[in-house]
Amino acid sequence: MLRHFKAWNIILILIFAVFFFALVYPILFIFKASFVNPETGAFSLKSYATFFHYPFYMRCLRNSLFVSTLSTFFALAIGIPFAFFLSRYHVPGKNLIKTLGTLPLILPTFIGAEAWLILLGRNGVFAKLLQPLGVEIPSIYGWKGIVLVFTLQFFPFVFLMVSSAINAIDRSLEEAATNLGSGRLRVFFTVTLPVITPAILSGALVVFYLCIENFGVPVLIGEDFRVLSVQAYNEFISEMGGNPSMAGALSMILLAITLALTVFQKFWIERKSYAMTSLNPIEVKRLRPMPTFLIWLFCAGIVFIALFPFAVVMVSSITKTQGPVMYFGQFSLDNFIRAFTIAPRPIFNSFFLATTATLIGILFGILVSYLLVRRRGAVSYLLDILVMLPLAVAGTVQGIALAATYNKGFIVLTGTWMILVLAYFIRKAPYSIKTTASLLQQIDTSIEEASINLGVPPVKSFLKVIIPIMLPGILAGAIIMWVTTLAELSSTIVLYYGPWATMTVEVFQRIGSGDFGPASAYATILILSVLIPLFILNRVSGKDLASSL
Amino acid sequence: MRVQLTGITKRFGRLRAVDDVSLTIEEGDFFTLLGPSGCGKTTLLRTIAGFYTPDEGEIRFGERVINHIPAHRRETGMVFQNYALFPHLSVFDNIAYGLRARKVARREIASRIGEIIRSVQLEGLEDRSPNQLSGGQQQRVALARALVICPQILLMDEPLSNLDAKLRVSMREEIRRIQKELGITTIYVTHDQEEAMAVSDRIAILNRGRLEQVGTPTEIYFRPENRFAAEFMGSSNILELDVLDYDEGASRITTEAAGQTVLIRGDKPLGKMVTVSIRPEWIRVVGKPQSGKTNILSGKVVSSTFLGSMVRYRVCGPQEQTLVIEVHDPDEKGILGNGEILWYQLPADRPVVIQG
Repeated sequence: MLRHFKAWNIILILIFAVFFFALVYPILFIFKASFVNPETGAFSLKSYATFFHYPFYMRCLRNSLFVSTLSTFFALAIGIPFAFFLSRYHVPGKNLIKTLGTLPLILPTFIGAEAWLILLGRNGVFAKLLQPLGVEIPSIYGWKGIVLVFTLQFFPFVFLMVSSAINAIDRSLEEAATNLGSGRLRVFFTVTLPVITPAILSGALVVFYLCIENFGVPVLIGEDFRVLSVQAYNEFISEMGGNPSMAGALSMILLAITLALTVFQKFWIERKSYAMTSLNPIEVKRLRPMPTFLIWLFCAGIVFIALFPFAVVMVSSITKTQGPVMYFGQFSLDNFIRAFTIAPRPIFNSFFLATTATLIGILFGILVSYLLVRRRGAVSYLLDILVMLPLAVAGTVQGIALAATYNKGFIVLTGTWMILVLAYFIRKAPYSIKTTASLLQQIDTSIEEASINLGVPPVKSFLKVIIPIMLPGILAGAIIMWVTTLAELSSTIVLYYGPWATMTVEVFQRIGSGDFGPASAYATILILSVLIPLFILNRVSGKDLASSL
Repeated sequence: MRVQLTGITKRFGRLRAVDDVSLTIEEGDFFTLLGPSGCGKTTLLRTIAGFYTPDEGEIRFGERVINHIPAHRRETGMVFQNYALFPHLSVFDNIAYGLRARKVARREIASRIGEIIRSVQLEGLEDRSPNQLSGGQQQRVALARALVICPQILLMDEPLSNLDAKLRVSMREEIRRIQKELGITTIYVTHDQEEAMAVSDRIAILNRGRLEQVGTPTEIYFRPENRFAAEFMGSSNILELDVLDYDEGASRITTEAAGQTVLIRGDKPLGKMVTVSIRPEWIRVVGKPQSGKTNILSGKVVSSTFLGSMVRYRVCGPQEQTLVIEVHDPDEKGILGNGEILWYQLPADRPVVIQG
């Protein structure tokens, strides 16, 4: 008993060490750096003074808040009716629409940005078609493009959260309101809407967070429209050798925003939401043909517009290209041949890094969830918070912190593949911990005790009984972790070094240099590597993508 | 195997879940830990199983002190309240689990499982997965899994609480039958006094971690030692009576209640009052007496509930409390309504003097 106890204590200490090493210490490190004058090395508030003094920096902050607010608004405007229509009314092809409607969540945002550049960019398809006719197409660059891509990629979060809230409402709730004398509209505004409001707010916060944290979309499509995450990256990478103090200050400001959002979400909205178990879900209504068609048109149309860009990228990858000029209609496999023969390394890198990080993440997730669920002690609360901390740190900030910290000194990791694995696994660990912990919670302690009682020692009991029961869930979590890691750009772009460029970096750089063909080839490989495992997961376990997120 | 507990105390923070419990459970006994929820019965069982380490005291299996033997080496078979069947294994593999852990040869596993499956009547369900079974079948699998390893001691934690009322009765008879057949020492936890009486050789009543009384079902029912035991096992009327006299030769206490003389058999009372426990069915309803006879009292009926084979009256008792009186085989015309006066006789030789 005592020995067993000690083993878990050592594991607990190791877990804390990993979090400290990979997350807390690097953030403290750039926190300190942001208060140091890079020339003299003395304490200084210069970076913060610069930030608040120069309109340029304040504009970055304003821009970030502006696009995030606007995108959140549009995501709500699309997501709420989308959820409402699909859960309450009969819509043809409902299941397909639902499944496709969640896909944008998992598809890399910067590929969405690339597609819109291909379509509406300066050398884009529409520009070429319409310019000869003298028609000016509206510019995709700047905030308009950013908001467009954010809205289309993030509205599914609102959709998922709101529809699960709607589906949790028991039929009797609305019937009670009707029975007490409320008309249909009154029921909606006095009962239904208040009950789903926490879910709406929750969805809004998540979308806002994803927007403000995002790096790939504003950097590709924003041009002169600078946002915080992009400017932090620029300060850090700058050809002048970079300004760690200024990059640190920008990171801290971004971190303050994301942390505040996370804390707000955790302590306010989670307390506000209502626990309901719906015994009798509300009946799905069948409307007359015309309204049904309009609802269908709205839902299917949104899904089409959200996914069309990815189809464009896939078509572009097999289209003959020369720099930014694409010859649509003329097919060629050149882009793929080049990707596989001349520069196959990024493909290998992406798979290798994502797989390694996922394997470590699974192990880590199991250990942490076991400690969280089964061995609650004095430090569990601290572990609870620590475990979810990576979710509150923007990828760019995490990348800058890690790169700055392990650049020199005792441990030098910057420029190695290990730092990428470290960044990935700590960043995605919360997903794997969340899925395994909730699975573990569902398994009664007595199952484990039954095995011990039958003569199998505790650790072996865990391996023989608990792990097999959790296996399907662990696998689903691992697939999600793997595909999201593959698509990671914001920390990779800061941390990668020469030979360790990944497919995401390759796509990013090729778009920057106007090589849309090769960019599309890598992007297509990414899209397929994300979709195929999800498809298999869906087939094998019958599990919805939504349930694993 | 004989189980001996000496001064077992288990604390959770400041709560003493089990408080200085000493018990001896004889070889082959069906021994029940009975008490309300939170009384420490499950904690005590889990301490015996090895899932908790006692803070004080000693647990012996036979002659051997097993305090420091880990749970997986205690050779007990446990049936959990929710059965704890392994959801990823078939019925056969669930039952085989403990045998495989003991590296029993494959052929022996097959024959032992065949035998136990027959004895718990699960033939033909070997390949089912637990979630394809009914509650009663799951219960049998859990029992078979615990028994097939031939444990020294069988531990059961409220095994019937998830079954419906009818099944509960038939399962408890079956558990009792199998236990007798195997002669295995069994420690059984329940909060249901009827169930405890039906299956047990001996019962320990627990309250707030402490032992209230240990005895056979009849001992506890007819001779409860204290108020808790009297009220928890069946229902009971507790009366506090003033002592007037004591007749040593006849072991007769003369007491007084509401101006009436009440005679009770018992040992010499220590104080000026005695507390007695009287079962509702011991009180006899009588006609209005001519003159003041001993032990005959009257009271207003507060409620009268007709239950078919009996009528249960709640009557204003001699000391402001409500007395419960049960009349078996009632007469259709003779049932009294609320507010009517009911005359009754307290039996002289049955009330049990208890500690207050």
